[in-house]
Amino acid sequence: MTQKLFGSFSRKRTSFLFGLLVLAFWVACAFVGPFVVPQDPYADDLMNALAPPSAEHWFGTDQIGRDVFSRVIAGARPILSVAPAATFLAALCGTMLGLVTGYAGGWVDTVLSRLVEVILALPLIVVALLVLVALGPSSLNATLVIALVFTPIIARTVRSAVLAECKLDYVPAAQLRDETALHIMFVEILPNVLPPIVVEVTVRLGYAIFTVASLSFLGFGIQPPSPDWGLSIAENYGLIVGGYGWTVGFAALATASLVIGVNLVAEGLQDAAR
Amino acid sequence: MTPLERQIIDEHRAGRLSRRMFLRHASRIGLLAALPAPAAALGRPGATVRVASQVPSGALEPLTVSEIGGLAMLCQTGEFLIFDGSDLVLRPSLATGWTPDADCSTWTFTLRPGVKFHDGQAFGAADVVATMDRLCDPRQGSNALSVLRGVLSPGGTRRIDELTVRFELDAPNGNFPYYVSSDNYNAIMLPANYAGDFEANFNGTGPFRLERYAAKQGASFVRNPAYWGRAALPARTEFTFFTDQQPQILALEDDQVDAIVQISVQGAQGLLRDPDVRIIDIPASTHRQIHLRCDQGPLADRRVRQAIALCLDRPGILHGLFQGRARLGNDSPFDPMFASTDRSVPQRRKDLSRAMALMNEAGHADGFETTLTTERQQEIPDLAVLVQNACGQIGIRVGLRIEDPGTYYGTAQFGRSDWLDSAIGITDYGHRGVPNVNLAAPYLSNGAWNAAHFRSAEYDRLVAGYIAATDLSAQRVLAGRIQTLLLDETPVIIPYFYDYICATGPTVTGVAVSGLSQIFLQDAALS
Amino acid sequence: MGRKLRMVAVRCALSGLTLLLLSAVVFAAGQVLPGDVGRSILGPLADARAVAALDHQLGADAPPLLMYARWIGHLLQGDMGVSYAYRSPVAPFIVRALGKSSALAAVTLALVVPLSVGAGILAASRRGRWQDRLVNLGGLSLTVVPEFVSGILLILVFGVWLRWLPISANTRPGTGAPEQLRHLILPALPLVLVLFGYIARITRAGMIEALDADYTRTATLKGLRRSQVILRHVLRNALLPTITVIAAQTSYLLGGLVVVETLFRYQGIGSLILTAAHGKDYPMLEAGILTVGAAYILSAILADALVAMLDPR
Repeated sequence: MTQKLFGSFSRKRTSFLFGLLVLAFWVACAFVGPFVVPQDPYADDLMNALAPPSAEHWFGTDQIGRDVFSRVIAGARPILSVAPAATFLAALCGTMLGLVTGYAGGWVDTVLSRLVEVILALPLIVVALLVLVALGPSSLNATLVIALVFTPIIARTVRSAVLAECKLDYVPAAQLRDETALHIMFVEILPNVLPPIVVEVTVRLGYAIFTVASLSFLGFGIQPPSPDWGLSIAENYGLIVGGYGWTVGFAALATASLVIGVNLVAEGLQDAAR
Repeated sequence: MTPLERQIIDEHRAGRLSRRMFLRHASRIGLLAALPAPAAALGRPGATVRVASQVPSGALEPLTVSEIGGLAMLCQTGEFLIFDGSDLVLRPSLATGWTPDADCSTWTFTLRPGVKFHDGQAFGAADVVATMDRLCDPRQGSNALSVLRGVLSPGGTRRIDELTVRFELDAPNGNFPYYVSSDNYNAIMLPANYAGDFEANFNGTGPFRLERYAAKQGASFVRNPAYWGRAALPARTEFTFFTDQQPQILALEDDQVDAIVQISVQGAQGLLRDPDVRIIDIPASTHRQIHLRCDQGPLADRRVRQAIALCLDRPGILHGLFQGRARLGNDSPFDPMFASTDRSVPQRRKDLSRAMALMNEAGHADGFETTLTTERQQEIPDLAVLVQNACGQIGIRVGLRIEDPGTYYGTAQFGRSDWLDSAIGITDYGHRGVPNVNLAAPYLSNGAWNAAHFRSAEYDRLVAGYIAATDLSAQRVLAGRIQTLLLDETPVIIPYFYDYICATGPTVTGVAVSGLSQIFLQDAALS
Repeated sequence: MGRKLRMVAVRCALSGLTLLLLSAVVFAAGQVLPGDVGRSILGPLADARAVAALDHQLGADAPPLLMYARWIGHLLQGDMGVSYAYRSPVAPFIVRALGKSSALAAVTLALVVPLSVGAGILAASRRGRWQDRLVNLGGLSLTVVPEFVSGILLILVFGVWLRWLPISANTRPGTGAPEQLRHLILPALPLVLVLFGYIARITRAGMIEALDADYTRTATLKGLRRSQVILRHVLRNALLPTITVIAAQTSYLLGGLVVVETLFRYQGIGSLILTAAHGKDYPMLEAGILTVGAAYILSAILADALVAMLDPR
């Protein structure tokens, strides 16, 4: 029995560590990738357009002869800038909102729940599309839209955690000590609800990557000439039929590995928090 | 024989005009006896020809259609006074002849007798007058206004008798027949009592008549037994609409369709290599215009504009983006294939050291920052990246803004349009049989599409002269001066003119196309 | 039963309110869209006077509030308006696109429900074993892979390399149903992968809870065979949360349709919305988005009703 538990635990650790490793790899690529890649990811070479993978171009070249390997490595940066920024922004706003509504309760609570319901009644992609068609597509606007949609979702999680905390002894005790509401929310409650927030934020990060990639694919996210993966796939997927699969296949694998990595980490954290 | 006719024949005899160019010019002034008789159609009649086409993005109203899906539809049942084929030779269609007066300000057209619309009405001068008046009426929302403005006004088309009309032009125009040919794609002849319901019945005079039309899905046509000309070979044609190129290619390879109206090289590289596919590749004057704003910032300096134009590797672009299925552009709308183009004007080539020197002279040795705005359409985003990289070679740091076409064009008015207001932009220009339309609005000082904000009294004068010029040698002299002026000023870069490509299955014969995505199937057959 | 009916009625009223709110939001967003209707119909090179004339004909130059009021008024009479781009009623386009999307969604659900429920049951009955971990981790990992990414990889493997499945979702008019279905498998798979993890997990959790519950133990003690216990007692209880989750996932499914239909160039409601947004065709865009919202809300109500019916308590 002990053996079994231990085995299960170590297997869980394995998947967590694997996810962490993949994530660390892409984060490293995001930081130093553009400086260590073999070729300039932006440089065109029209005489070598659509060259298949070779010793010189490991992943081949795209429509205008850019090196796909260099672009895949450098492509970690745009998505790992936009998605975490959006998540962080949403975490910040969502936590505040959740703390206030959870602690204050009342009508704020009702409004928030309604808002979340309306937002969830439309697919995230459709909401984002609607806003981005109006605002114009750009990385910044994509960041803001995703943050906007995630804020109430995170707020809801934080709120329910806060509600549970408020039933515990230390909150009424602090209230009896005449502590200010701000002090109670941010000094007393916040540290105790951090674990679920961290888990929620990691999960949201996965969705943010999902959404940013999808928006870039639809032409509403990260803009050319960025080596972003979703964008590269959008630019080149018409070439699949012609047999130029390398222009999109590697970017697709990179995106998949990143989201799965983040997800395994989130899963590990979730288990640890339990 | 008129002096104009004699002059063209003399030029041909003297060897200054190739046979092909001679035919174009002879047909332009209505000298039709010179045209070879149309070849007899080959192939077995009675087939059903299935075609993949871009979905028309809006209602099929002949007055307003402007995109390729719609153009392909209009010409299935509609006909023009004149047919401008892929060789740019004008051929009689609903008009059997046309002659200008001495200064080409009035053109007289003779109409074909015995033509009937699909609903049974006879075709005659009144229909031509009504159709043309509709096309030049600003209150009708006509798309052809951009072609006809300053050329023909409402009331300018006169009925002389049942089979003769006279066009009294706003200004002399030596190329007027092109303006009422299939080149002016909105100008299909509709009955005088047309009520705006083309989509319901496709009432035209053509060799096919509508069987069924379903918006966004497809259309089918059947042979018109009452056609004035030789009966169409196919018993039936069937169009399926697609939103994108890739499924069209799959459908052709899968033998679900017999032809694709138009393919672009991007994404069709595999198809172009396929030995089981027949590629119809005709030169067209379709091009991209990279405008450089002449009135503000560092680009106001002509040397900077020249420097940018000198950075582009044009042969590389032709190879990379079009696999060679395009012709080099020389920064003016004069496509080398136009008869009037002066081919002695030297082609601009990549010359980085000259570009650097120009930047130095202009005081921009360290470069500067600017933004290129353009639309997401076919190869344009790739071209934008290539321009960005090219500019980087001489220190100009270009940011890209790639928008939906609707956003890019905005309201198409100065001050309210990214197209017309951007420092650098890339804009798509469609095929025309003669450069006239593209010489005016994009470059004239008061031109409605002058995104470069180019102001040159000299240019305006030369173009007015060119449009009025009736004989070829005069046109060519003026063309040479326009080309040289535009090269020197470089308000725009035109890096290439690319071919129109249509693909059919291996057994399909007799498909005719024009550079405007018009497909003509009356001689099509399957073997 | 009366209580349940009232609950459903309240739910419907609330949903109507949400829809109205949604329509206002959609309309407001439509107002700030850049570009010009007449311009997008006539093309960039049309004369400005022609554009103004067309705008007026289409009523696109009316004040926003008036346009909204007109639209809602017509909508309440069952008239979805006239598409600016096609100058013909919107409703047939929506209906046709909805039909196509429904076919895709049906294929998706037909694949994903048995697969994921089966996997969930398997995982629950092999709790802690490798099958369990595979379903759990594998399902969860696939859930986060964007549809276009898995779509591209599936196309490359099954369409281009192995050539087992057609890449194109489109078939010629008049193609038989089995062939049409075959063309929908590849487009459905990315959606299946996204939904699989959620449904399998919830099924597993529901199963485990039900297996551990008192009534199961009682039934087992009464001497019923295990398969009977599972069929009669466990599944009925375990699948309740699954139904709720499937309904909740419809929202993801509908969002996924935009991406998948773009990738496979399938002319369903998702690509209709995208095209309308690009073309600034308000009536089409508003009707499309409202349809998606309504579909989601409807599926939620249906699921609630189903759960209420099946719930033994």
